[in-house]
Amino acid sequence: MLVYIFLITLMAALASPIYAADPTPKITVGTQEVGLSIGYLLPHRLTQDHTTKQQGPAFMPYWMMTLTDPIGGSWYRGQISLGAEMVYIQFQEPILTHGVGFAPKIKYTFVALDRIRPYAEFAGGPFWTDLAGKIPEESSQFNFVLMAGFGASYFLTDQVALNIGYRFQHISNAGTQYPNIGLNASLPYGGFSFYF
Amino acid sequence: MTRHLFHWTILGLVVLTTSTTAGCTTRWIDINPSPTSRQEPVTQSILNDERVPFVMDGFRMTQNGASQNPSTEVEHRILNTVQETRLFSTLIPLGGNVASLGDKVVTARITFDETIDSHAGETAWKGFVIGASMFLLSPVIDLDYDYAAEASLELGRWDGQLKRYKARSAGTAHYTVFAASPTMIDELKGQVTEACLTDLMDQLIRDTNFYMANSAPLPDSPIVSVTVKARKSLPSPTSPSAVPVSTAPAP
Repeated sequence: MLVYIFLITLMAALASPIYAADPTPKITVGTQEVGLSIGYLLPHRLTQDHTTKQQGPAFMPYWMMTLTDPIGGSWYRGQISLGAEMVYIQFQEPILTHGVGFAPKIKYTFVALDRIRPYAEFAGGPFWTDLAGKIPEESSQFNFVLMAGFGASYFLTDQVALNIGYRFQHISNAGTQYPNIGLNASLPYGGFSFYF
Repeated sequence: MTRHLFHWTILGLVVLTTSTTAGCTTRWIDINPSPTSRQEPVTQSILNDERVPFVMDGFRMTQNGASQNPSTEVEHRILNTVQETRLFSTLIPLGGNVASLGDKVVTARITFDETIDSHAGETAWKGFVIGASMFLLSPVIDLDYDYAAEASLELGRWDGQLKRYKARSAGTAHYTVFAASPTMIDELKGQVTEACLTDLMDQLIRDTNFYMANSAPLPDSPIVSVTVKARKSLPSPTSPSAVPVSTAPAP
């Protein structure tokens, strides 16, 4: 269902007219951003102890607040924003299970290219999953998720942007229970943002 | 025991909701000089037919020392502020038609310098700490945004005499992360600009007699010469920021 909503929103956004003379989006201090990212989790078994090939779709609705005006005067000119996102993962492999988390997030958006805006982001927070206990890597259902990645936004209008990006994701329980080898994955994703 | 726990849970939720609602949406603005510390407004009287036209001859804007395209919004705001003094009979914006104004006009060159500091580094660290605390510290960690405006006004009378005025005002918006909004920054800029222009107009009104039509005769020869040269460089904060073009009666 969420995939259909995402696709309909994407088509509506693509159908909106774009003019070459459109002004550059004005993102200032206090501008808020809400959006949805959808991706697919691909496992990384970094050691011989990692055997689980966890994978499945991930849904990440989020909210961000711009904290600074553009800073810097060169290619790295950009803005800092702070926010949070919900993470829902449906692990389809090795067992159909679920994971849900809440992660405060900080993002640096490069603004030198006007409508195309690359960004780097970092997020981390608590994460619950019933996959743990059924795999050798994780024993407790209460875990933490850490995500770091990069991406790019393309502004269709001053308020709507399409995003694509990549994240590296790590899930573990911070040593609160053993075994705690951790789960690592790549998470390519796409989505949209609305600024107001 | 269960009932006791239930009561404490309800109390905790009420305290948490109240503190986050009140604390998270806190913001206030400090202006220096404060509008409330201003002395009585300066008042002068002038006969209606003693008023002369005011012609905008030049307008420059800088932001953090870098030249900007002049903002029509700021130009209009300055002109409105001058209009409200009722010192001049007519106000002509930059590039306006001056053909039918007569010989006695006051020409104005205005420089408006903005200095903005969003405390980016400090805000980034505070943002990281707020995020790491799962936003629990957001009500107690304030973020700051500084804005300062400096307006310089150079007025040239019909006989070639010049008067220069300068005013400066600064302000800081203090806010918590959930209280940030573009409106808050607009409010800060609006209040700082208002304080700056009010100070500038107070200085101008003190010289009312200087701009009265009978304060100086017309020059003997209506032909004037204009010294023309390119701008040398960006103005430094301590140097006069008027464009170096002057008019004087021909010998």
